[in-house]
Amino acid sequence: MNLSIYQNSKNVFLDIVNAKDYIQLDRVSTIYQSLKNSIKKPLKMVLLYGKPGTGKSMFLNKLYHDLSTTQEVFIYQTPILDESEFLKTLAHDIFRVQYRGDINFTQFMKMVDLSKLNSTPIILLDEAQLYSNQLMEKIRLLSDTRSVKFVITLHKTEKEDLIAKEHFQTRIWESIELENASSSELKIYIQKKLMKANCFDSANMFNAKSVNLIHKLTNGNYRDTNKLLYTLFDLYISYYQNQNIKDLNTNQVSHKLIEMSAIHTGLIDA
Amino acid sequence: MLNTNDLEQRWLRYKIKSYIPHAIIFLSVILILSLISLFMNKEPKIKEVDNNFNIHNVLNEESQNKEFILKETSIKKSHKQEIKPQERVEIPKQNNKMTISPSLDFMRQMQENTQTYFETNPEHKPVKKEKSHGVKPTPKPTPLAKKEEKVFYEEPQEEQIEKKSKSIKITRQNTHDDIKEVVTRFNKNNNPALSLFIAKKYYELGDYHKSYNYALITNEINNDIESSWIIFAKSLVKLNEKAMAIKVLKQYIQHSNSNRASLLLDKITSGKFK
Repeated sequence: MNLSIYQNSKNVFLDIVNAKDYIQLDRVSTIYQSLKNSIKKPLKMVLLYGKPGTGKSMFLNKLYHDLSTTQEVFIYQTPILDESEFLKTLAHDIFRVQYRGDINFTQFMKMVDLSKLNSTPIILLDEAQLYSNQLMEKIRLLSDTRSVKFVITLHKTEKEDLIAKEHFQTRIWESIELENASSSELKIYIQKKLMKANCFDSANMFNAKSVNLIHKLTNGNYRDTNKLLYTLFDLYISYYQNQNIKDLNTNQVSHKLIEMSAIHTGLIDA
Repeated sequence: MLNTNDLEQRWLRYKIKSYIPHAIIFLSVILILSLISLFMNKEPKIKEVDNNFNIHNVLNEESQNKEFILKETSIKKSHKQEIKPQERVEIPKQNNKMTISPSLDFMRQMQENTQTYFETNPEHKPVKKEKSHGVKPTPKPTPLAKKEEKVFYEEPQEEQIEKKSKSIKITRQNTHDDIKEVVTRFNKNNNPALSLFIAKKYYELGDYHKSYNYALITNEINNDIESSWIIFAKSLVKLNEKAMAIKVLKQYIQHSNSNRASLLLDKITSGKFK
């Protein structure tokens, strides 16, 4: 294998959220389909929750990518923490109104009442746990008007569970939990991701044993797996450049390099 | 670019760390197993040692018992001089093999000795036969000892004079040392029965001077004992004092009208008794 293969493989695992990099897995596809069905239902809110790195942002991006062609959908990947700014952004996206000064919630609600929208716009809010309780309460009131439908993502922690209870317990009609991948799912995820980038040789390097080790280290977390594999191929590049690649078996992933990658990324405390 | 050397060193430390618990568990298991095996091996050894110890003890005890029994029997049979000292030495050697065969030898000797004894004492033949039927050649030492005791109890009947005394003493009567013992006893109590017994034994042994003296002493203590006068007269004849013997017998016959004395007088005068 030449250096370019390792470099391409390394780039595959860059930790970026891109709908094009979405990997179709059986369980994930089922969840995604149920999310799409929930959007079609007359629900006020849809909650997407799970531990960090389980693919919530990717889901939201994929949803935006798929729905944007057919209906009005807006995604806020970075939380807008200021209330006036949040409402001004909503007014601009939904009603095409450009506010120069501040806008309060009362003014925004009057705008919602006066407007006559043909379809219900969908607002995708990522990292909703960062919004303040007051703003979340106002988002709830806005969703009650059924003028706007919200899909929000939350980290599943004790704190976020509390927020979900306080603000969405009686209003959310659909909640979908995302989980870490199993060992077999992780193998498919890695190999599909590499093959998508035409890195077939490196995809074949991952056998069940090496994937089990990776799964043991990352616990099936997609973000940790991406970080680990990015470092792994970075190490292969370093060995290649230092002429030490002959010491390694290139037919399969070196467990030593996997563990070294885990040490570098902090997955192993050594 | 990553610092692979640093990462390799960290990885090596991590591997060593990760193997430490496994190594500890492995060594612990080996240690436990070795201790268990050691413990398991030790137990039977201890038992073996105990068994050996017991066997030796038993052997020693048995050999001591056998020796004791043998000594007793050898003392008892000493007058016949049939048991050789070499045989006594060999018996304990055989005992070392943890067999009780020496006891069987002893039994044979016992049977032989008792048979010869009873042959000389026809009166006790039925008794001997009964006892011999009771004797079983079993290897246990205890019944053998019992048998021996039974034999000893028979022997006091041999000499009525010593009925109440132990059988061992009776078996010593025919030796000069044993006669001396009786003499000592006689000196203490002046019993005419003992002096008569001594006179008879000396007469049997051919010591006619002593038999004459003890018969005379007996007659001085009690002049009505017929046997004493007869031994006295016989001793005089043997000492070539035939005239004196005839004179003494005549005086005794006049005094007691003894038939045995009369018969002896006739034998002496006719020359049948010399």
